[in-house]
Amino acid sequence: MGYTITEKILARVSGRVAVKAGDEVMAKPDYVIAYDFPGYTDVYFRQMKEDFGIERVAEPDRYAIFIDHMVPATSPKEEELHIGTRTWCAENNVALYERKGIGHQVASEVGYAVPGAFVVHFDGHISQLGTFGTLAMGIRRNLLEAFVRERISIKVPQTVRVNLTGTLRKGVMARDVFHHLVRVMGPASCRFQVLEIGGPALSQISTEGLQTITGLAMFTGAVTAIVNPDKERLDYALARAKKQLEPVYSDPEASYSAVYEIDLDNLEPLVVIPPTPANSRNLSEFLGLEIHAGYLGSCASGRLDDLRIAAKILEGRQVKSGFQLNVVPTSQEIMAAAGREGLISTLAEAGAFISSPSCDYCFGRIATMTEKQRAVSTGTLNVRGRMGSPDSEIYLCNAATVAASAIEGALADPRKYL
Amino acid sequence: MTLQNLRGRVAFIFDEINFDVDQIVGVKNIKITDIEELSAAAMTSYDPDFHASVKPGDVLVGNHNFGYGHPHYPPMRAMRHLGIKGVIAESFSPGYWRGEISMGFPQASCPGILELVNRWDEVEVDWDKNEVRNLTTGKSLPIEPLSFADREMLDAGGLTEYLKRPVPAS
Repeated sequence: MGYTITEKILARVSGRVAVKAGDEVMAKPDYVIAYDFPGYTDVYFRQMKEDFGIERVAEPDRYAIFIDHMVPATSPKEEELHIGTRTWCAENNVALYERKGIGHQVASEVGYAVPGAFVVHFDGHISQLGTFGTLAMGIRRNLLEAFVRERISIKVPQTVRVNLTGTLRKGVMARDVFHHLVRVMGPASCRFQVLEIGGPALSQISTEGLQTITGLAMFTGAVTAIVNPDKERLDYALARAKKQLEPVYSDPEASYSAVYEIDLDNLEPLVVIPPTPANSRNLSEFLGLEIHAGYLGSCASGRLDDLRIAAKILEGRQVKSGFQLNVVPTSQEIMAAAGREGLISTLAEAGAFISSPSCDYCFGRIATMTEKQRAVSTGTLNVRGRMGSPDSEIYLCNAATVAASAIEGALADPRKYL
Repeated sequence: MTLQNLRGRVAFIFDEINFDVDQIVGVKNIKITDIEELSAAAMTSYDPDFHASVKPGDVLVGNHNFGYGHPHYPPMRAMRHLGIKGVIAESFSPGYWRGEISMGFPQASCPGILELVNRWDEVEVDWDKNEVRNLTTGKSLPIEPLSFADREMLDAGGLTEYLKRPVPAS
C-alpha cells in the first residue's frame, strides 16, 4: 500500500502517521495566504475581533498578505482598503508584500512554495505552488477558519494522475498543455480531487510552464494540482524556502482514482473560445477571426517564457494600428529580468503597452471592451464580462498567439513567425 | 445534529452542463448589491414568470458540474431572497459548493436527479437517510453524504456560526 504526495502532506499537518483519501481531518496549514480584497480580507480582519475576540494572530510567520489587486489604486476608497491591510499587517506583525507582483507568483519567489508544505488561500489559483511539491488550496470564504483557528477541517481528496509523454512542438506552450487536459479529460474530470502531474515529458516543461499548468487546475474541477518535484524545481524552491521540510513524493504504488496518459507529440496551439474555460479548440479552426485587443499577463501567464516568445515574434514587427496590446509581467522580479534581457524594449518598440505587475487587467477591473469587441488573452478566464461588456468576447490562448494576433489584428498562428 | 430536511417544489431545472450560476442574474447585474434590485434581475432570461410562481421552500435542480466557471455569491443570494432553500444537482463544481455551503445554503449531490424529477414536482431531501424523495411520483434516489464539516456548517447556518462552535477533535 502506498500514499500520494497529497496524503503524505496532509498526514503531517494533521498530526497523524498516515491518512487516506476520504478521511476527514483537522489540518494546520503551514502558511495562510491572501490578497487584500473587499469582502474577504477586510471582513476577516473585522470578524476576527468582533465575532471571535481575537486581537492578534497567534503565529504571525504562518500568514502572508499581498497587495496586488487595485494596484495602482484609482480612488481614495481603494486606497482605504490598502491602508486597512497595511495597518492590520503591522499590528499583527504579518508579512505584507505590496507592489511586488501578482501574489501567487510572488509567493513562490519569496519562499512560501516550500516543498512538502500545506498552504491555503481563498483564491484557487494559489494551486500553482504545486509546481514545487507544495499542496496549496483555494478554499474561498472558508479561509476565515484559518484566521480564527489553528486547524482547518478538510477531507483528504482523492488524486487523479496525469502522465505527460512525447515532445512539445515549436509554438506550443504549457498553456496549450493545460487546455488540452481540459479538452481530453473534461472540465469535471478532477472534481474535488487533486490533479497530480508527472510522466516522462514533465522534465521538458519549464518551471514557469508548470506554474501555468498547476495554476489553472480549477478548470478541471480540481481543488489543486501538484507535482513530485525534480531537481530543477527543488533548486528554485529550496534556495528561497521560508522553512525546511523534508520533501515528500507519491509512492509508486499510491492509489489514484484515475490515470490519464497525455501525449504531447501532436499537440497544436489551442484557443479557448467564449464563454467558458471548458471550450478548448484547435487554433487552426479560428484563424483570421478579427481581434481588437490582446492581453499578455496574469498569474497563469506573463512570465519570462511568455515574454521571450512574444518578443521573438514582435521583434522588428509592429502591432497592427488600432490593436490594443497590453503586456503585464507577472512580477517585479520577472519584469526586471525581462528588462535585463532586452525584452521590454523589443516589446515597446513593437507598440505594446507595458504595465507594471498588477492583477487588474485580468479580474475585470481594467475592463474596457465594448459590445462586439474581441480579445486574445493569456488571462485566467473567458467568461462573459471579464474584460468589459458582457457582449464582448475573450479567446484564451498562449502568449505566442497573443503576439502573432497583435500583428495581424486577427487570430493568427504564431508558428509562422518563429 | 438537527439539520432539517428540505421540502418543497422544484422551482426550476437548469439542464445545462457546467452551468455558470452568474447567468441567473446576468453578468451585467453581478455587481448589484441591493437585494430587491438583484432579485428583480434574477431568472428574467430563463422564465419571466418565475417571480410570480416561486414560493418559499422551493428548490432548484441542476445538471453535472453545477457552478463551474467563476461563481459569484449574488445569484444565490437573490435566489434565497426569493425563497429558494437549496439546490439539488447531478454533481457540483467544488468552488461553487464550498462558497454556498459556507453561506449555510444547502446543496445536495444526487446522481440521477434530472431523471427523477419534473419541474414543480414536490421533493424532499433527507439528510439522515441520504436520499431525495420525489413526493409527487413516490420515487427516490440516494444523495452523496455530506462531509462532517459541511453538515455542521449547514446545521450552524453558515461559516461564522460554525466557527463559533467548539473545535472538532482532530
